[in-house]
Amino acid sequence: MKKNKSAPKGMYIEILRYSFKAACKSIGHDKWINFLTILSVSIGLTILCAFVLINANMNSALQKWAQSFGVVVYLSEDISRDAEGALEEHFLKDNDIEEVNYISKDQAAEEIKKTLGQHAVILDVFNESPLPSSFELKLRSKFLDPARVREKAAQMQKLEGVQEVQYGEKWLSSLSTIAKTLKICSIVFGTAIFIAVTFITYSTIKIFLHRRRDEIETLKLLGASRSFIRLPFLIEGLFIGTLGGALSSLGILASYSFIMYKMVEFLPAMKFIMSSLPSSIYVVVPFGGAVMSLLGSFIAIGKIRY
Amino acid sequence: MILFSDVSKRYDKKPVLNSISLIIKKGELLFITGPSGAGKTTMLKLIYCSERPDSGHITVSDWEVSKLGQSEIPELRRNIGIIFQDFKLLTNRTVFDNVALALSIHGMNQGKIRHYVNEALEEVKLLDKASLYPQFLSGGEQQRVVIARAMVSKPVVLLADEPTGDLDVENAKTIMELFSKINGKGTTVLIATHDENLFRNSGHRVVHINDHYIEKEYVG
Repeated sequence: MKKNKSAPKGMYIEILRYSFKAACKSIGHDKWINFLTILSVSIGLTILCAFVLINANMNSALQKWAQSFGVVVYLSEDISRDAEGALEEHFLKDNDIEEVNYISKDQAAEEIKKTLGQHAVILDVFNESPLPSSFELKLRSKFLDPARVREKAAQMQKLEGVQEVQYGEKWLSSLSTIAKTLKICSIVFGTAIFIAVTFITYSTIKIFLHRRRDEIETLKLLGASRSFIRLPFLIEGLFIGTLGGALSSLGILASYSFIMYKMVEFLPAMKFIMSSLPSSIYVVVPFGGAVMSLLGSFIAIGKIRY
Repeated sequence: MILFSDVSKRYDKKPVLNSISLIIKKGELLFITGPSGAGKTTMLKLIYCSERPDSGHITVSDWEVSKLGQSEIPELRRNIGIIFQDFKLLTNRTVFDNVALALSIHGMNQGKIRHYVNEALEEVKLLDKASLYPQFLSGGEQQRVVIARAMVSKPVVLLADEPTGDLDVENAKTIMELFSKINGKGTTVLIATHDENLFRNSGHRVVHINDHYIEKEYVG
């Protein structure tokens, strides 16, 4: 008896062909259990995608709201024009600041008059504007971290000619808390769904393995390699995950279009807040399903011992 | 050549084989006999690595079987034809597919598989039953399917565990004729049986195991 170390030409193709055939046969034979598994995987992925989309839309809304966030730097009464110019120069050079608007004392008075409307006459007692001149600064959204803004405001407060720095500290904290909560929820929820989908496929493949234990035993005794035994189950798992993912992405497309249509009909402004469905979803979701199911199948098969 | 060198095996501290040493020459047809529980099946299992010896060495051709790693066992088994006592036929596959399985494992292409399976079924006179499922065949026919599956990949060693256990005299005779035919082509055949009628006046070597030892060797 000679050891046949070198694999004959086309051997792996034939084994792959056999595995595909065996997997297809099993899919056809156990169609109901496969159908239910695909459905469960699909539902799991749809829930995950729905959550990701809600998260993305909320993030998008938060980003849009964050764009209106500003810091107001009130200047001292006795500040000179040169000092004001120097401050403007300082703010323009700051990379954290996206936009700098100077509001003179008179402009501030005009603004307040507009706000007060018919009660604006109360300002007539003043010979000149009682309001200080100021800078309205818009920070770059990526720097909208409460701690960083607090630090920035403290730095600005120390600048010469600055009387007071104001910003919506509580608002910014709330915004930041919402964003952080969403991020944590995404991780927890994503992990839970990942485990659930993996476990669903794991259970199904485990049932198939149990049903075919005599066949596996015979294959082992006849000299089937580990990959020869594993491949049909892995292909079946891959099929379940990919099809579950594909169904899920179609379901998401249908429900997202429907919800978008209904929401825009009810609140037209939502059109600008809600982000459109990314086309990558048609690849990412089936691929994700395939990876999760493949992992489940791999764990289910476990170690093959002769 | 198959070599057993001072091989011992125990199950739960109970000895099954004790210091067995045996040489089976290439192309030989050998019977292993003895009472139930003597260790006949264990000897075969040790050859195809379904069991490992507690001590001693087993060599099959250039394979040091007792030292084989898990990943090397399939390759050894692909080179041995095994006829199991309980047949181990897959009831969800036809006779043809059961025999073809032994070649699919080798990664052989469909055309060759068809050719060799038909050849093997022709040999065991079951070509006309290729499309049937094993459960619709008689015991003797099922045993012939198992022989076809074992010989289709042209192994150098053929192991048979009680191949005529549940068969009548006529079927047993047919099975033995098949073994002689296979042996005649140069295959080493090892038959474990307690049926003395199989080896009486056969002209082949008989190894009698009793009380976990080789009690005697003689020509049947």
